[in-house]
Amino acid sequence: MTATIDLAGDPRADSIESPTSRDAFLQGVRDIVPMVLGVVPFALAIGAMIGTSSLSSAQGLFSGPGILAGAAQLTTIEMLEAGAAPVIIILSALMINARLLLYSTALAPWFREERLSRRLLLAIPVIDQLHFTCTPRFERGDLDRRARQAYLAGAAAFLVGAWTGTQAVAIVAGARLPDWVGLQVAAPLALAGLLAKSVSARPAVVAALVAAVVVVVGAGLPLHSAVLVAAVAGMCAGTVSTRRTTEGAGR
Amino acid sequence: MSAWIVLVAVATGTYALRASMFVVLGRRNLPAWTERPMALVAPAAIAALTVSMLLTSDQSFDAAPVEELLAVLVGFLAVRRTGNVMWAFAAGLPVYWVMALVIG
Repeated sequence: MTATIDLAGDPRADSIESPTSRDAFLQGVRDIVPMVLGVVPFALAIGAMIGTSSLSSAQGLFSGPGILAGAAQLTTIEMLEAGAAPVIIILSALMINARLLLYSTALAPWFREERLSRRLLLAIPVIDQLHFTCTPRFERGDLDRRARQAYLAGAAAFLVGAWTGTQAVAIVAGARLPDWVGLQVAAPLALAGLLAKSVSARPAVVAALVAAVVVVVGAGLPLHSAVLVAAVAGMCAGTVSTRRTTEGAGR
Repeated sequence: MSAWIVLVAVATGTYALRASMFVVLGRRNLPAWTERPMALVAPAAIAALTVSMLLTSDQSFDAAPVEELLAVLVGFLAVRRTGNVMWAFAAGLPVYWVMALVIG
């Protein structure tokens, strides 16, 4: 076991000493705590909904960790209950999850030196909350290859564990929560919290606003593709506004 | 049975979306011009997803429950103020409950 870590070719790595793997793992766990508290009610809502659906317990228990994306899981189950055609359900859910392609693009470069098998493993938990926790942390530039993996693993373990565990408890306990609890609002609330965190600078505000408008205007688009179309439109608008504000600053 | 096929297909397809760039970008850097759009992935995607969830099943705001819209707005503002996503629920859910009571 060699202690030297090859940082050659990684412009983001500098001479700052990186935390050990163990420390990085625990940091990942700690940093994602607020996000986890934010998704637990969402997981509870989905679990309760599965409990009242016609899915078997095994199907319900699989859907959480299997899909690992709440909005698409919710849509899949709702459409199954509504008796939609399987192909339409699959395409709709994947369209909602197409944003994961963008998260994948954002996170993958941090692990490009790892072996393929390792990268395939690291990709499993890629989701909004993970992107949100890991990307800003990695951008600080003081984590080396190994620490980045440990950080992501720590954050992912806690997030996926809490998500899966909460759903499992709700399904097995057959949670029948009264309507007034309002868990149907849990999903948009969890997302609104993430949104509030993500709109820090003006280009991000532009991106979010444009995406919000486009998703309403394009709501009639087939197969839930409005979410993808709106996300891309928002990114483009935000990028243009960045260029405008920094005009003359080079590039 | 067909529920299993759908669930497994969605799970597999979703993983393919996640893993795609981890495979493609294995040994390459993204070109520099992608840096800015990448920073806007989260706000754009999450805004689109949030608003789409507030639309009712007929894809309009017409029948959208006021209490839901207000709860989400308050949750959003609470997180803006505190910087902690937990506040989305801490502030949003009580608003939802009160509104649901008021509207009946």
